[in-house]
Amino acid sequence: MAQKESMAVPEFLSKAELVKQGAEARVYRAEFLGKPTIVKERFPKRYRHAVLDEKLTHRRTVQEVRSILRCRRAGISAPVVYFVDYTSHCIFLEEIVGSSTVRDHIASNQRSDSCKKPELERLADRVGQILAKMHDEDVIHGDLTTSNMLLRCGLEDGEFDLFLIDFGLSYISALPEDKGVDLYVLEKAFLSTHPNTEALFERLLKSYAAASSKSSAVIKKLDEVRLRGRKRSMVG
Amino acid sequence: MHLTHKLELFPDHRVTQMLFKEVKNAAELRQCAVEGKINGALINPTMLVDPFQVLVAVNKAVNLQKIGKMKTRSLYSEIIFNLSPTNNISEAFKRFGSSDGDDSVLVVLVHNKDESQLVSDITARVSGRQVPAEEVSSLTDHAKIKKLYKVTAQEEKCGTLLDAVVCRMAIKDVM
Ligand SMILES: Nc1ncnc2c1ncn2[C@@H]1O[C@H](COP(=O)(O)O)[C@@H](O)[C@H]1O
Repeated sequence: MAQKESMAVPEFLSKAELVKQGAEARVYRAEFLGKPTIVKERFPKRYRHAVLDEKLTHRRTVQEVRSILRCRRAGISAPVVYFVDYTSHCIFLEEIVGSSTVRDHIASNQRSDSCKKPELERLADRVGQILAKMHDEDVIHGDLTTSNMLLRCGLEDGEFDLFLIDFGLSYISALPEDKGVDLYVLEKAFLSTHPNTEALFERLLKSYAAASSKSSAVIKKLDEVRLRGRKRSMVG
Repeated sequence: MHLTHKLELFPDHRVTQMLFKEVKNAAELRQCAVEGKINGALINPTMLVDPFQVLVAVNKAVNLQKIGKMKTRSLYSEIIFNLSPTNNISEAFKRFGSSDGDDSVLVVLVHNKDESQLVSDITARVSGRQVPAEEVSSLTDHAKIKKLYKVTAQEEKCGTLLDAVVCRMAIKDVM
Protein backbone atom coordinates (compact mmCIF):
# COMPACT_ATOMS: atom_id res chain seq x y z
CA MET A 1 0.00 0.00 0.00
CA ALA A 2 1.32 3.42 -0.88
CA GLN A 3 2.06 5.68 2.03
CA LYS A 4 -0.77 8.11 2.57
CA GLU A 5 0.45 11.63 2.81
CA SER A 6 -1.55 14.29 4.48
CA MET A 7 -1.81 17.63 2.74
CA ALA A 8 -2.61 19.34 6.00
CA VAL A 9 0.92 20.55 6.77
CA PRO A 10 1.78 21.78 3.24
CA GLU A 11 -1.52 23.64 3.08
CA PHE A 12 -0.92 25.17 6.49
CA LEU A 13 2.60 26.26 5.51
CA SER A 14 1.41 27.85 2.28
CA LYS A 15 -0.29 30.47 4.45
CA ALA A 16 2.51 30.81 7.02
CA GLU A 17 5.18 33.51 7.05
CA LEU A 18 8.50 32.33 5.60
CA VAL A 19 11.32 33.47 7.92
CA LYS A 20 14.29 31.82 6.30
CA GLN A 21 15.02 29.82 3.19
CA GLY A 22 18.06 27.66 3.86
CA ALA A 23 19.86 25.01 1.83
CA GLU A 24 18.28 22.10 3.73
CA ALA A 25 15.24 23.61 5.37
CA ARG A 26 12.73 26.41 5.37
CA VAL A 27 11.75 28.14 8.60
CA TYR A 28 8.26 29.57 9.01
CA ARG A 29 6.43 31.51 11.64
CA ALA A 30 2.77 30.75 12.37
CA GLU A 31 0.22 30.35 15.10
CA PHE A 32 -0.29 26.71 16.09
CA LEU A 33 -2.67 25.45 18.78
CA GLY A 34 -3.03 29.10 19.71
CA LYS A 35 0.69 29.67 20.33
CA PRO A 36 3.37 31.53 18.40
CA THR A 37 5.27 28.76 16.65
CA ILE A 38 8.31 28.24 14.44
CA VAL A 39 7.98 25.48 11.85
CA LYS A 40 11.10 23.96 10.40
CA GLU A 41 10.53 22.08 7.17
CA ARG A 42 13.24 19.91 5.66
CA PHE A 43 12.71 19.51 1.95
CA PRO A 44 14.02 16.86 -0.47
CA LYS A 45 17.34 17.47 -2.17
CA ARG A 46 16.76 16.60 -5.78
CA TYR A 47 20.36 15.64 -6.50
CA ARG A 48 20.34 12.96 -3.80
CA HIS A 49 18.92 9.52 -4.38
CA ALA A 50 15.26 9.67 -3.31
CA VAL A 51 15.30 6.75 -0.85
CA LEU A 52 18.61 7.79 0.66
CA ASP A 53 17.44 11.37 0.89
CA GLU A 54 14.26 10.36 2.68
CA LYS A 55 16.27 8.33 5.20
CA LEU A 56 18.76 11.11 5.83
CA THR A 57 16.05 13.73 6.20
CA HIS A 58 14.13 11.52 8.60
CA ARG A 59 17.25 10.90 10.65
CA ARG A 60 18.04 14.60 10.94
CA THR A 61 14.50 15.34 12.06
CA VAL A 62 14.73 12.63 14.70
CA GLN A 63 18.18 13.74 15.85
CA GLU A 64 16.99 17.30 16.16
CA VAL A 65 14.07 16.55 18.47
CA ARG A 66 16.02 14.02 20.54
CA SER A 67 18.81 16.48 21.17
CA ILE A 68 16.34 19.19 22.15
CA LEU A 69 14.81 16.94 24.80
CA ARG A 70 18.21 15.80 26.01
CA CYS A 71 19.31 19.41 26.46
CA ARG A 72 16.10 20.46 28.17
CA ARG A 73 16.38 17.55 30.60
CA ALA A 74 19.80 18.83 31.58
CA GLY A 75 18.45 22.32 32.16
CA ILE A 76 19.72 23.84 28.92
CA SER A 77 17.13 26.09 27.32
CA ALA A 78 15.95 24.96 23.89
CA PRO A 79 12.56 25.52 22.22
CA VAL A 80 9.73 23.19 23.29
CA VAL A 81 8.71 20.69 20.60
CA TYR A 82 4.96 20.90 20.00
CA PHE A 83 4.51 18.51 17.11
CA VAL A 84 6.52 16.51 14.58
CA ASP A 85 5.20 15.37 11.21
CA TYR A 86 7.45 12.66 9.84
CA THR A 87 5.76 12.58 6.42
CA SER A 88 6.48 16.21 5.57
CA HIS A 89 9.58 16.32 7.83
CA CYS A 90 8.33 19.28 9.80
CA ILE A 91 9.09 20.19 13.38
CA PHE A 92 6.76 22.60 15.18
CA LEU A 93 8.67 24.48 17.88
CA GLU A 94 7.95 27.07 20.50
CA GLU A 95 8.80 30.52 19.13
CA ILE A 96 11.18 32.27 21.50
CA VAL A 97 9.21 35.49 21.39
CA GLY A 98 11.15 38.71 21.82
CA SER A 99 14.53 37.07 21.32
CA SER A 100 17.45 38.11 19.16
CA THR A 101 20.39 36.05 17.98
CA VAL A 102 23.68 36.24 19.84
CA ARG A 103 25.10 37.26 16.48
CA ASP A 104 22.94 40.39 16.28
CA HIS A 105 23.57 41.13 19.91
CA ILE A 106 27.36 41.06 19.55
CA ALA A 107 27.23 43.01 16.29
CA SER A 108 25.13 45.81 17.73
CA ASN A 109 27.26 46.00 20.88
CA GLN A 110 30.39 46.22 18.78
CA ARG A 111 28.90 49.04 16.76
CA SER A 112 28.12 51.02 19.87
CA ASP A 113 30.98 51.97 22.17
CA SER A 114 33.34 50.08 24.44
CA CYS A 115 31.32 50.53 27.63
CA LYS A 116 29.38 47.43 26.54
CA LYS A 117 32.47 45.30 27.06
CA PRO A 118 31.50 43.85 30.45
CA GLU A 119 28.17 42.81 29.03
CA LEU A 120 29.79 40.99 26.13
CA GLU A 121 32.16 39.29 28.54
CA ARG A 122 29.26 38.15 30.66
CA LEU A 123 27.63 36.76 27.53
CA ALA A 124 30.80 34.91 26.51
CA ASP A 125 31.00 33.38 30.00
CA ARG A 126 27.44 32.23 29.74
CA VAL A 127 27.87 30.67 26.31
CA GLY A 128 30.95 28.81 27.55
CA GLN A 129 29.06 27.44 30.53
CA ILE A 130 26.11 26.26 28.47
CA LEU A 131 28.27 24.56 25.88
CA ALA A 132 30.17 22.83 28.68
CA LYS A 133 26.90 21.54 30.08
CA MET A 134 25.76 20.39 26.64
CA HIS A 135 29.02 18.52 26.05
CA ASP A 136 28.84 16.97 29.50
CA GLU A 137 25.54 15.48 28.30
CA ASP A 138 27.42 14.17 25.24
CA VAL A 139 25.35 16.27 22.87
CA ILE A 140 27.40 17.47 19.90
CA HIS A 141 25.55 20.34 18.27
CA GLY A 142 27.20 20.00 14.87
CA ASP A 143 26.56 23.54 13.68
CA LEU A 144 27.51 25.97 16.43
CA THR A 145 27.32 29.58 15.31
CA THR A 146 26.24 32.76 17.04
CA SER A 147 23.07 32.65 14.87
CA ASN A 148 22.07 29.39 16.50
CA MET A 149 21.94 30.94 19.95
CA LEU A 150 19.01 33.14 20.95
CA LEU A 151 18.98 35.68 23.74
CA ARG A 152 15.87 36.72 25.58
CA CYS A 153 15.98 39.30 28.29
CA GLY A 154 14.40 38.20 31.52
CA LEU A 155 11.41 40.26 32.57
CA GLU A 156 12.20 41.26 36.14
CA ASP A 157 15.89 41.10 36.87
CA GLY A 158 17.47 42.11 33.56
CA GLU A 159 19.05 38.66 33.48
CA PHE A 160 18.92 36.94 30.10
CA ASP A 161 18.01 33.46 28.95
CA LEU A 162 20.22 31.81 26.36
CA PHE A 163 18.56 29.28 24.05
CA LEU A 164 20.32 26.85 21.75
CA ILE A 165 18.54 26.16 18.44
CA ASP A 166 18.97 24.25 15.19
CA PHE A 167 20.07 20.79 16.30
CA GLY A 168 19.61 19.35 12.79
CA LEU A 169 23.24 18.21 12.56
CA SER A 170 23.53 17.12 16.17
CA TYR A 171 24.45 13.69 17.47
CA ILE A 172 25.43 11.94 20.66
CA SER A 173 29.11 11.30 21.35
CA ALA A 174 31.38 11.18 24.37
CA LEU A 175 34.57 11.57 22.33
CA PRO A 176 36.73 14.61 23.17
CA GLU A 177 37.59 14.82 19.46
CA ASP A 178 33.94 15.40 18.52
CA LYS A 179 33.54 18.03 21.21
CA GLY A 180 36.78 19.70 20.13
CA VAL A 181 35.57 19.87 16.52
CA ASP A 182 32.26 21.29 17.74
CA LEU A 183 34.17 24.13 19.42
CA TYR A 184 36.41 24.56 16.39
CA VAL A 185 33.36 25.05 14.16
CA LEU A 186 32.16 27.73 16.56
CA GLU A 187 35.56 29.40 16.71
CA LYS A 188 35.74 29.63 12.92
CA ALA A 189 32.21 31.03 12.68
CA PHE A 190 32.66 33.36 15.64
CA LEU A 191 35.90 34.98 14.49
CA SER A 192 34.76 35.38 10.89
CA THR A 193 31.36 36.83 11.85
CA HIS A 194 32.69 39.13 14.56
CA PRO A 195 35.97 40.84 13.72
CA ASN A 196 38.47 41.49 16.53
CA THR A 197 36.89 39.15 19.02
CA GLU A 198 39.85 36.82 19.65
CA ALA A 199 40.00 37.88 23.30
CA LEU A 200 36.27 37.45 23.73
CA PHE A 201 36.39 33.95 22.27
CA GLU A 202 39.33 33.06 24.51
CA ARG A 203 37.18 34.14 27.42
CA LEU A 204 34.38 31.87 26.20
CA LEU A 205 36.79 28.92 26.08
CA LYS A 206 38.09 29.71 29.58
CA SER A 207 34.57 29.68 30.90
CA TYR A 208 33.92 26.39 29.08
CA ALA A 209 37.05 24.88 30.58
CA ALA A 210 36.15 26.01 34.08
CA ALA A 211 32.60 24.69 33.84
CA SER A 212 33.32 21.18 32.56
CA SER A 213 35.30 18.58 34.43
CA LYS A 214 36.10 16.82 31.15
CA SER A 215 37.29 19.94 29.38
CA SER A 216 41.06 19.42 29.35
CA ALA A 217 40.89 16.54 26.85
CA VAL A 218 38.48 18.57 24.72
CA ILE A 219 40.67 21.68 24.66
CA LYS A 220 43.66 19.51 23.80
CA LYS A 221 41.73 18.12 20.83
CA LEU A 222 40.68 21.63 19.85
CA ASP A 223 44.34 22.64 19.71
CA GLU A 224 45.10 19.62 17.52
CA VAL A 225 42.24 20.40 15.17
CA ARG A 226 43.37 24.02 14.90
CA LEU A 227 46.84 22.85 13.97
CA ARG A 228 45.48 20.49 11.34
CA GLY A 229 43.36 23.30 9.94
CA ARG A 230 46.37 25.58 9.71
CA LYS A 231 48.51 22.89 8.05
CA ARG A 232 45.79 22.27 5.52
CA SER A 233 45.60 25.93 4.63
CA MET A 234 49.41 26.11 4.28
CA VAL A 235 49.41 23.22 1.85
CA GLY A 236 46.58 25.00 0.08
CA MET B 1 -17.73 26.74 30.68
CA HIS B 2 -16.50 24.46 27.91
CA LEU B 3 -13.50 25.39 25.77
CA THR B 4 -13.56 25.06 22.01
CA HIS B 5 -10.50 25.40 19.79
CA LYS B 6 -9.99 25.11 16.08
CA LEU B 7 -7.08 22.99 14.89
CA GLU B 8 -5.04 25.18 12.55
CA LEU B 9 -3.74 22.13 10.63
CA PHE B 10 -7.21 20.67 10.24
CA PRO B 11 -9.50 23.68 9.86
CA ASP B 12 -12.65 21.56 9.66
CA HIS B 13 -11.92 19.99 13.07
CA ARG B 14 -12.79 21.54 16.38
CA VAL B 15 -11.89 20.35 19.85
CA THR B 16 -14.18 20.91 22.81
CA GLN B 17 -13.12 20.30 26.42
CA MET B 18 -15.62 20.01 29.28
CA LEU B 19 -14.61 19.58 32.91
CA PHE B 20 -16.79 18.09 35.64
CA LYS B 21 -16.20 17.84 39.38
CA GLU B 22 -18.13 15.88 42.03
CA VAL B 23 -18.94 13.25 39.44
CA LYS B 24 -21.18 10.45 40.73
CA ASN B 25 -21.47 8.21 37.67
CA ALA B 26 -17.95 7.75 36.31
CA ALA B 27 -18.49 4.00 35.81
CA GLU B 28 -21.68 4.55 33.87
CA LEU B 29 -20.03 7.20 31.69
CA ARG B 30 -17.18 4.87 30.86
CA GLN B 31 -19.68 2.17 29.91
CA CYS B 32 -21.42 4.69 27.61
CA ALA B 33 -18.11 5.48 25.94
CA VAL B 34 -17.37 1.78 25.44
CA GLU B 35 -20.80 1.28 23.87
CA GLY B 36 -20.39 4.31 21.65
CA LYS B 37 -23.18 6.28 23.28
CA ILE B 38 -20.67 8.92 24.21
CA ASN B 39 -18.52 9.97 21.30
CA GLY B 40 -15.62 11.46 23.18
CA ALA B 41 -12.53 10.78 25.25
CA LEU B 42 -12.99 10.57 29.02
CA ILE B 43 -9.80 11.70 30.70
CA ASN B 44 -8.56 11.67 34.28
CA PRO B 45 -8.00 15.40 34.87
CA THR B 46 -5.44 14.91 37.64
CA MET B 47 -3.01 13.81 34.92
CA LEU B 48 -3.42 17.04 32.99
CA VAL B 49 -1.43 20.22 33.52
CA ASP B 50 -3.30 22.46 31.11
CA PRO B 51 -5.89 22.32 28.29
CA PHE B 52 -3.01 22.87 25.85
CA GLN B 53 -1.76 19.37 26.68
CA VAL B 54 -5.04 17.99 25.34
CA LEU B 55 -4.77 20.04 22.15
CA VAL B 56 -1.31 18.61 21.50
CA ALA B 57 -2.68 15.07 21.93
CA VAL B 58 -5.69 15.71 19.68
CA ASN B 59 -3.70 17.37 16.91
CA LYS B 60 -1.32 14.41 16.82
CA ALA B 61 -4.19 11.92 16.84
CA VAL B 62 -6.03 13.60 13.97
CA ASN B 63 -2.82 13.77 11.94
CA LEU B 64 -2.13 10.06 12.42
CA GLN B 65 -5.74 9.22 11.61
CA LYS B 66 -5.47 11.11 8.30
CA ILE B 67 -2.36 9.19 7.23
CA GLY B 68 -3.62 5.86 8.55
CA LYS B 69 -0.97 5.45 11.23
CA MET B 70 -2.88 5.42 14.50
CA LYS B 71 -1.57 3.00 17.12
CA THR B 72 -5.01 2.38 18.61
CA ARG B 73 -8.45 1.64 17.23
CA SER B 74 -10.22 4.98 17.45
CA LEU B 75 -9.51 8.68 17.45
CA TYR B 76 -10.59 8.94 21.08
CA SER B 77 -8.38 6.13 22.30
CA GLU B 78 -5.53 7.61 20.29
CA ILE B 79 -5.96 10.92 22.13
CA ILE B 80 -5.62 9.16 25.48
CA PHE B 81 -2.63 7.16 24.22
CA ASN B 82 -0.91 10.35 23.03
CA LEU B 83 -1.06 11.89 26.49
CA SER B 84 1.17 9.16 27.85
CA PRO B 85 4.97 9.45 27.79
CA THR B 86 5.38 5.75 26.93
CA ASN B 87 4.28 3.51 24.07
CA ASN B 88 2.47 1.08 26.35
CA ILE B 89 -1.20 1.28 25.39
CA SER B 90 -2.80 -0.40 28.40
CA GLU B 91 -0.73 1.69 30.79
CA ALA B 92 -1.82 4.84 28.97
CA PHE B 93 -5.48 3.94 29.48
CA LYS B 94 -4.99 3.07 33.10
CA ARG B 95 -3.30 6.36 33.91
CA PHE B 96 -4.88 8.88 31.58
CA GLY B 97 -8.29 7.40 30.92
CA SER B 98 -11.16 7.89 33.33
CA SER B 99 -11.54 5.15 36.01
CA ASP B 100 -14.76 3.92 37.55
CA GLY B 101 -14.16 5.51 40.94
CA ASP B 102 -13.07 8.96 39.70
CA ASP B 103 -14.91 11.99 41.05
CA SER B 104 -13.79 14.31 38.25
CA VAL B 105 -13.62 13.88 34.50
CA LEU B 106 -12.52 15.87 31.47
CA VAL B 107 -14.52 15.10 28.33
CA VAL B 108 -12.86 15.78 24.97
CA LEU B 109 -14.96 16.01 21.83
CA VAL B 110 -13.69 16.33 18.26
CA HIS B 111 -16.29 17.64 15.84
CA ASN B 112 -16.71 19.65 12.68
CA LYS B 113 -19.77 21.74 13.32
CA ASP B 114 -21.33 23.76 16.07
CA GLU B 115 -20.79 22.05 19.42
CA SER B 116 -23.98 23.11 21.26
CA GLN B 117 -25.88 19.83 20.67
CA LEU B 118 -22.86 17.68 21.61
CA VAL B 119 -22.24 19.75 24.71
CA SER B 120 -25.80 19.46 25.95
CA ASP B 121 -25.75 15.68 25.29
CA ILE B 122 -22.73 15.38 27.57
CA THR B 123 -24.08 17.61 30.33
CA ALA B 124 -27.26 15.54 30.28
CA ARG B 125 -25.32 12.33 30.88
CA VAL B 126 -22.88 13.47 33.53
CA SER B 127 -24.17 13.72 37.06
CA GLY B 128 -21.69 16.19 38.38
CA ARG B 129 -20.90 19.89 38.51
CA GLN B 130 -19.49 21.45 35.36
CA VAL B 131 -16.69 23.97 35.95
CA PRO B 132 -14.64 26.03 33.47
CA ALA B 133 -12.29 23.72 31.56
CA GLU B 134 -9.31 25.95 32.42
CA GLU B 135 -9.74 24.88 36.04
CA VAL B 136 -8.15 21.56 35.13
CA SER B 137 -4.89 23.12 36.33
CA SER B 138 -6.23 23.19 39.89
CA LEU B 139 -6.75 19.40 39.85
CA THR B 140 -3.26 18.53 38.57
CA ASP B 141 -1.33 15.93 40.57
CA HIS B 142 2.10 17.51 40.08
CA ALA B 143 4.09 14.86 41.95
CA LYS B 144 2.56 12.00 39.99
CA ILE B 145 3.09 13.73 36.67
CA LYS B 146 6.73 14.54 37.42
CA LYS B 147 7.35 10.93 38.31
CA LEU B 148 5.56 9.44 35.34
CA TYR B 149 7.12 11.77 32.75
CA LYS B 150 10.49 11.64 34.57
CA VAL B 151 10.79 15.42 34.74
CA THR B 152 14.10 16.50 36.27
CA ALA B 153 14.55 19.37 38.72
CA GLN B 154 17.03 21.00 36.34
CA GLU B 155 14.47 20.88 33.57
CA GLU B 156 11.98 22.82 35.62
CA LYS B 157 14.51 25.61 35.89
CA CYS B 158 14.49 26.19 32.14
CA GLY B 159 10.79 25.73 31.55
CA THR B 160 7.41 24.88 33.00
CA LEU B 161 6.00 21.46 33.83
CA LEU B 162 3.69 21.88 30.83
CA ASP B 163 6.73 22.41 28.56
CA ALA B 164 8.33 19.23 29.88
CA VAL B 165 5.16 17.19 29.41
CA VAL B 166 4.38 18.48 25.92
CA CYS B 167 7.93 17.84 24.68
CA ARG B 168 7.77 14.21 25.74
CA MET B 169 4.33 13.67 24.25
CA ALA B 170 5.41 15.17 20.94
CA ILE B 171 8.46 12.99 20.46
CA LYS B 172 7.80 9.78 22.34
CA ASP B 173 7.59 7.73 19.12
CA VAL B 174 11.30 8.30 18.46
CA MET B 175 12.60 7.91 22.00
N1 LIG C 1 12.42 28.78 18.26
C1 LIG C 1 12.70 29.95 17.68
N2 LIG C 1 12.24 31.11 18.19
C2 LIG C 1 12.51 32.29 17.61
N3 LIG C 1 13.21 32.42 16.50
C3 LIG C 1 13.70 31.31 15.93
C4 LIG C 1 13.47 30.02 16.49
N4 LIG C 1 14.06 29.09 15.69
C5 LIG C 1 14.63 29.78 14.70
N5 LIG C 1 14.41 31.11 14.82
C6 LIG C 1 14.88 32.17 13.91
O1 LIG C 1 15.00 31.64 12.60
C7 LIG C 1 16.34 31.68 12.17
C8 LIG C 1 16.71 30.41 11.42
O2 LIG C 1 16.52 29.27 12.22
P1 LIG C 1 17.43 27.97 12.09
O3 LIG C 1 17.43 27.55 10.65
O4 LIG C 1 16.83 26.94 13.00
O5 LIG C 1 18.82 28.39 12.52
C9 LIG C 1 17.16 31.88 13.43
O6 LIG C 1 18.36 32.54 13.20
C10 LIG C 1 16.25 32.68 14.31
O7 LIG C 1 16.32 34.05 14.03
